[in-house]
Amino acid sequence: MTDLAQDLLSSFVVAEPQLNGSRNLGVVHLRKEALDRFEAQGFPTTRDEEWKYTNLKPVLKHDYRILLKGDDAVSFADIKSYLLSDLDTYKLVFINGKYSSWLSDSTHQEFDVCTFAAALNKYPDIIAEYLGKGAPKGETFVDLNTAFADDGAFIRVKANQTVDKPIEILYLTTNENGPAFSQVRNLIIAEQNAEVQLLERHQNIGDQPSFTNFVSEVFAARDARVSYYKVQNDSDEATLVDNTHVVQKEQSNVHVGTYTFGGKLVRNNLHFYSAGERAESHMDGITIIGDGQTVDHHTLVDHQEPNCYSRELYKGIYLGKSHGIFNGKVMVRQKAQKTNAFQQNDNILLSDKAKVDTKPQLEIFADDVRCSHGCTIGQLDRNALFYLRSRGIPKREAEGLMTYAFAADALEYVKIPQLEKRLNRVIAEKLGINLEFAL
Amino acid sequence: MIKINNLQARVEDKEILKGINLEVNPGEIHAIMGPNGSGKSTLSSVIAGREDYEVTGGSIDFEGEDLMDLDPEERAHKGIFLSFQYPVEIPGVTVSNFIKTAINESRKGRGEEPMKAREMLAKMREKTALLEMDKSYLSRSLNEGFSGGEKKRNEIFQMAMLEPKLAILDETDSGLDIDALRIVAGGVNKLRTADNAVVVITHYQRLLDYIKPDFVHVLFNGKIVKSGGPELAHELEEKGYDWIKAENA
Amino acid sequence: MSDEILDEITASDYKYGFTTDIESDTVPPGLNEDVIRLISEKKNEPQWMLDWRLDAYKTWLAMVEPEWHNVTYTKPDFQAVSYYSAPKQKKELDSLDEVDPELLRTFERLGISLDEQKRLSGVAMDVVVDSVSVATTFKKTLAEKGIIFCSMSEAIQEHSELVRKHLGTVIPKRDNFYAALNSAVFTDGSFCYIPKGVRCPMELSTYFRINEANTGQFERTLVIADEGSYVSYLEGCTAPSRDENQLHAAVVELVAMDNAEIKYSTVQNWYPGDAEGKGGVFNFVTKRGICERNAKISWTQVETGSAVTWKYPSCILKGDNSIGEFYSVAVTNNYQQADTGTKMIHLGKNTKSTIISKGISAGKSHNSYRGLVRVGARAENARNFSQCDSLLMGDQCGAHTFPYIEAQHPTAQIEHEATTSKIGEDQIFYCNQRGIGTEEAIALIVNGYCKDVLNQLPMEFAVEAQKLLEVSLEGSVG
Repeated sequence: MTDLAQDLLSSFVVAEPQLNGSRNLGVVHLRKEALDRFEAQGFPTTRDEEWKYTNLKPVLKHDYRILLKGDDAVSFADIKSYLLSDLDTYKLVFINGKYSSWLSDSTHQEFDVCTFAAALNKYPDIIAEYLGKGAPKGETFVDLNTAFADDGAFIRVKANQTVDKPIEILYLTTNENGPAFSQVRNLIIAEQNAEVQLLERHQNIGDQPSFTNFVSEVFAARDARVSYYKVQNDSDEATLVDNTHVVQKEQSNVHVGTYTFGGKLVRNNLHFYSAGERAESHMDGITIIGDGQTVDHHTLVDHQEPNCYSRELYKGIYLGKSHGIFNGKVMVRQKAQKTNAFQQNDNILLSDKAKVDTKPQLEIFADDVRCSHGCTIGQLDRNALFYLRSRGIPKREAEGLMTYAFAADALEYVKIPQLEKRLNRVIAEKLGINLEFAL
Repeated sequence: MIKINNLQARVEDKEILKGINLEVNPGEIHAIMGPNGSGKSTLSSVIAGREDYEVTGGSIDFEGEDLMDLDPEERAHKGIFLSFQYPVEIPGVTVSNFIKTAINESRKGRGEEPMKAREMLAKMREKTALLEMDKSYLSRSLNEGFSGGEKKRNEIFQMAMLEPKLAILDETDSGLDIDALRIVAGGVNKLRTADNAVVVITHYQRLLDYIKPDFVHVLFNGKIVKSGGPELAHELEEKGYDWIKAENA
Repeated sequence: MSDEILDEITASDYKYGFTTDIESDTVPPGLNEDVIRLISEKKNEPQWMLDWRLDAYKTWLAMVEPEWHNVTYTKPDFQAVSYYSAPKQKKELDSLDEVDPELLRTFERLGISLDEQKRLSGVAMDVVVDSVSVATTFKKTLAEKGIIFCSMSEAIQEHSELVRKHLGTVIPKRDNFYAALNSAVFTDGSFCYIPKGVRCPMELSTYFRINEANTGQFERTLVIADEGSYVSYLEGCTAPSRDENQLHAAVVELVAMDNAEIKYSTVQNWYPGDAEGKGGVFNFVTKRGICERNAKISWTQVETGSAVTWKYPSCILKGDNSIGEFYSVAVTNNYQQADTGTKMIHLGKNTKSTIISKGISAGKSHNSYRGLVRVGARAENARNFSQCDSLLMGDQCGAHTFPYIEAQHPTAQIEHEATTSKIGEDQIFYCNQRGIGTEEAIALIVNGYCKDVLNQLPMEFAVEAQKLLEVSLEGSVG
């Protein structure tokens, strides 16, 4: 067992009585069981098939503080650049895992946009119905989070309601006092025919290492529509394990876009469970990383009911000494006839020190299905490059333009124009190109 | 040759054919015209024996035999050929291998010996020439990557090889440019004898300039609402289908 | 597809299920150093061979049976297996007349009568029954070209240095659990050496059978193609039907030196077990080849048999400009399980690999493709194309695809595609309308689906493979 795992176990004894929801017996139980499972399993190593290509050792070795305190010194000016400034949104800001009401803009009007901590006390029935029902027990990071997490975003959109503006969730870690280990959790419920758009970001401020173990459970009821955008552009010292689990009912439509540019190590466990007929699931990802960065996308689409559709498009561009991992699993259960599942993972290596490991995996138990997956690793098309240069575009710009075009494919489903613009800008910056000709 | 009597058919709960009466004799060419959704393709599928359609009434009599209880391949063995509106792709199976299998299965079904390889080859050569097809067609995967015109030409090629008694051409003209149309129609005309018959199903009069029908029927809303000679097709071309719709509203 | 047809698929019987009564010289079940010494002694092996076996045995003892694959089965009891069995016979046979007539009849029923093979197809056969070679043909023709094609036992006696130099160089003793076991106890197999610049004038062929109840079969094959040479090697298997599970753990090593080419084709139809999933062969095979400069290794396999198959014919593309190919059709029916695929390890510059895998699952079977494409840090301009398709027949079976792709060089170009499909109703109706019955239609469509792989087989083998596909899916495939 690692030192960190030991620290976590002993911290739990201290922390438990103070955790939100500690008066709720069900939650107390959930936490204890989860901790037991974590204790039995510990952190995964590269011997675990699911962690074959991602070594956690270097990021687990830091002496993280586990029980964090909020930070009142953060002002709006400090966080402004992490928000979509030109967009009117509901805002939920958490600092070191604690809700920051003066930076946030929540509501309980037609829909709940508030905190997980508040919900634990205010809606015990809803918590009992949903908490831990999306994210599977037995996944070590989920269990660890279940044991510790006592705050995060709680969003519930009642039947037939459309949230009038996007909800922006910002998790900040300040670490003047040394490395920080933070565990936060979302619970997002879109009831029948409800609609909501979410933007989410984790940000480490400071130059010390941080480790965020994050769980987000999303429940989309019949006909609900959820768009969920994750912008991952954290500091070089930040590690993020994002566990997002989406449960979909009949005819619901959920899109999760994951755009990863920053962070030392990012692991996304994104799982979709299509548990209702004619559900539609969309996953897009753009990863552009460089020296010293590792990004690992592990996706699962679990088709449990007939006539569902899933579409997955992940693009990766790897510069410097970076490491990209993609593991996409599409599961079609026996009952899930007429499933239509599409998956594509395309990668470009732009440096001889970069490395890509990809595993697009299909597990099919129904015969009347259309499933296809594809994956490519390659470089820019030389003919196209030559074509551009013959039209007078210098090599560097031509390469930039083509790389940009390669990545931007995965932006098609972004429904917030301001976000799309912002992502375009980040992509251009990352690739070092002038955007004038690209937009 | 074929006698269709008060034929009714539906798919799932939707009634499509509501009492079709049609008789085709050897040597005749019949054209069945009608607006989209009138039941033209359903009629051809039901004659060929497609199981997606449930026959709820009436009968189809082919050379004195009731077709209803026969499988699609048994109907084919008896000499019924359907040129598909949308020919199906079968990857990895060459045109020549497919047609060879089809001919020999049909012969087997009729209790005949398989065709000799040399005879088969000679026949393929003759029929590809008839349809102005390059011989390289024969080694391509069936309909895979074929253009619309190539697919239709391939259907008529198979018809030429199988020499059916009754050929039903379902929208064979759709997707064909004028040259392809001329070749396909020319092929059909050359294959005519006093003993076989052709039913042309089409939306437009265009094809009928090349394959001249003896009889024209108008199918509307699951019934044949008008029958006549070739002049009926011209009348339809001029006036469109609206007057038929109005008359039968 | 109608239910009756699906039922019929599941009801198809193993055509080659019969046993032959031949007196066997069998070692009692169990494995220890003494058994290994006994095997080595019976085969009159040199000391180095015995030492090699004992070393492998020690390695094996420390290893555990792998569990990562996507198959479930009752693990064999290695102490219940008999590790040596040879048909009793006179020392040397000069002609077919001297072969046990019972044995010849068996071959005839399998459709591989030696006479016919010799006369019609010009294929030299090294027939292996229960691990020991009983007949070898065309040796003279081959000898004139300097080609060595004989049983492994004979090679160890006659070409000791060649064997010693290459044995275990592609698949080390400790490579995996079953390779280690094979290294310790292998009784026979084939050995083939093609000298520099020689193009082997005929397809070399071996048929394997398991003939003795409870006899584990541990074949060892080594093919060495010296610089600039070419050989096409065929391997086919049928096994009589038995109630108890039989273990088959072969090792095949290919060495393709500079500018050499090896084409290795397999048709495998070991007994798959009955319709209830009882019995059948466990087929845990390690096959690997190494390519030096400009060399090429091409694996083609049609797998329809065995209860459990675990097999990944692989290529190590060590030399610059070397080429690896893998063409596979794997059919599973009833309760069969197959976990098969390939590894293409690109080490040299400008190396190329192609993977075409066609899986067909019917009945209650499970069919997995597992593959690895690795482009090393020095493998400039490596190219790979993979196509992995699955065809499902019925809703009781499963198709799984586990492709691992690892790239460490920016000039790598890797393309992987996979699809899952079924035979379309519209395809069947189209065939029906042209007079082709449903069973023939399915046979036609399946053969079309597998065409890219079947095309890779030598002519006479392709026909057999096609027949085998139809037999394995009989009822639906005619």
